[in-house]
Amino acid sequence: MNGQYASLLIALPLISAFFVPLIKGAGKKAVKYYLIAVTAVQTGIAAWIFQQVYTTGQPIIVMAGAWRPPVGINLYIGHFAALFVLIVAVVSFMMAVFSLRAIEVEPIDKYAMLFLLLMLGATGMIATGDIFNLFVFMEITAISAYALTAYNKTGEAAEASMKYIVLGGIGSSFFLIGIALIYGSLGTLNMAQIAQLAGGMNATVAQVGLALIVFGLAVEAELFPLNAWAPDAYQAAPHPITAMFSAFVVKAGLYAMARILYLMQAVESWQGVLRLLVIMATLTVFVAEFAALRQRNVKRMIAYSSIAQIGLIGLAFALGTQSGVDAGVFHMVNHAIVKALLFLAVGHVAVTLGGAEMERFEGLGKRMPLTAFAITVGAVAAVGIPLFNIFWSKLRILLAAIGADYAWAAAVVLTASVVEAVYYFRLIHRMWFAGEGERINEGLAVSLMLLFLAALVIVIGVYPDYAWSIAQKAGNDIFNVAQYIKNVPLMGVGA
Amino acid sequence: MISVYYFGAISLILIGLYAVLVKKNLLKMLIGLSIMETGVNLLLVSVGYVAGRSAPILSEGIGPNQAVDPIPQALVLTAIVIGVATTAMALSVAMILHEKYGTLNVEEIRRLRG
Repeated sequence: MNGQYASLLIALPLISAFFVPLIKGAGKKAVKYYLIAVTAVQTGIAAWIFQQVYTTGQPIIVMAGAWRPPVGINLYIGHFAALFVLIVAVVSFMMAVFSLRAIEVEPIDKYAMLFLLLMLGATGMIATGDIFNLFVFMEITAISAYALTAYNKTGEAAEASMKYIVLGGIGSSFFLIGIALIYGSLGTLNMAQIAQLAGGMNATVAQVGLALIVFGLAVEAELFPLNAWAPDAYQAAPHPITAMFSAFVVKAGLYAMARILYLMQAVESWQGVLRLLVIMATLTVFVAEFAALRQRNVKRMIAYSSIAQIGLIGLAFALGTQSGVDAGVFHMVNHAIVKALLFLAVGHVAVTLGGAEMERFEGLGKRMPLTAFAITVGAVAAVGIPLFNIFWSKLRILLAAIGADYAWAAAVVLTASVVEAVYYFRLIHRMWFAGEGERINEGLAVSLMLLFLAALVIVIGVYPDYAWSIAQKAGNDIFNVAQYIKNVPLMGVGA
Repeated sequence: MISVYYFGAISLILIGLYAVLVKKNLLKMLIGLSIMETGVNLLLVSVGYVAGRSAPILSEGIGPNQAVDPIPQALVLTAIVIGVATTAMALSVAMILHEKYGTLNVEEIRRLRG
């Protein structure tokens, strides 16, 4: 089949979002099933593209309006994008199913629209090959995320959303200044052409531009000190949306940061920007782990733990070596699975028992054994116990950090991981060894999804080789910029 | 070459940033955010500015060599639209906040902590 069909990844959620008001006429339930149907089709398309890219080994390049880049805007779906577009689609599908149970607040039609736009934005950020287009998709993601954060219409939700809007506004302005500087000195917005011309850029301008872009994207990517919005938004947003934030919205921001960073690796002052990012990422891990320790709300605690893991990925990307990037991508995949599992399970508990405070988890092992089991698997995996998936990626990141002469960063991260073990085991202890309770019906669909994700965690933990080889290919896609330039059919304009 | 517009753009950005970081009233913060966005837009336009050339509209006597760079202008149009969307979103959230808390002072709106 023709690779140009890959543009459906962008087109389908966008068009479907506009049809929601029509579907609404058929009833509230219909909107939810419609959402499930659209995300299922999206998953199908993403799976086809994944299969296509990984069997041929060639990226799919979609040229908008058949204009060749850099005149036209192109989508670049290489190994990385194919893998993550699939993750975005699968997680969205699961959360659409979960929404059936979790979303009762009106208006459901607006929720469905914003849900689809959030998925669209993340997919676009991962697939695009043009930095201004990246900015537009980032804003689509951000604005739907602001609205979804405020969706529950409580004071807390509005407050979290406002924090997110103010920080996001500053971040997007910084990002745009960075784009203006790059455009001003290179005269192009196409990523491949930027990479081609980056070597001739003035070192100071490049450093300032890159630093501004890193700061701008750090809001989406939740790196310290621009992540103040994240725990509040995670706590206040509807449960399926929290899982989507953690599983792929953040990842899209991180990926965009890594992509732009590695495109500009020919720039002289590149190492300075990397050092800035290493410091930001290490601080993120450190601060987030200690903040997680003193949380009373389990959803907020896992939000902080998620931020810490994101810091770890940021560290891996900031190392500037092939092994670091591969390890970072591997951790992104593992983290997406584990955090989808944890937020799904915790959201399930919160929906069933009416809240996510620590006290409600007492005796969960007796009341909802399957959910408690899923949380246990996720928690043990997040701590990094061997035979669970995150162990392997954490190990690779630490080895890569030592290999890149950042042993101090590895030491800080390891210390922080000990803290992680403390609060996760406290939660597990509460669930299995404290409190009593009657058994509650857990719901078939959610149970199946929990089992599937938990099985994935364990399978990757026991046989990491296949997932690792996929992550290596995807990491190579980011790191090997020469190949990236060669793949994009640039017209000979302005070079 | 450094044009005078750069200084205007940078000072607008800094004024906006100051308002966002220092002001206590939510509406003033949002105005600051808008000023900052305007500054960024001005910066983008001035990147494409060439002294003595006209707008990039093909007409009599104006060929590609007499016009300024059109791409930044197209980008600014997009950025303005996005800015409007963000501001509208922020104002509606501010309305909900005022409804729930009865104030727009950010120091009093602080239920979420730690």
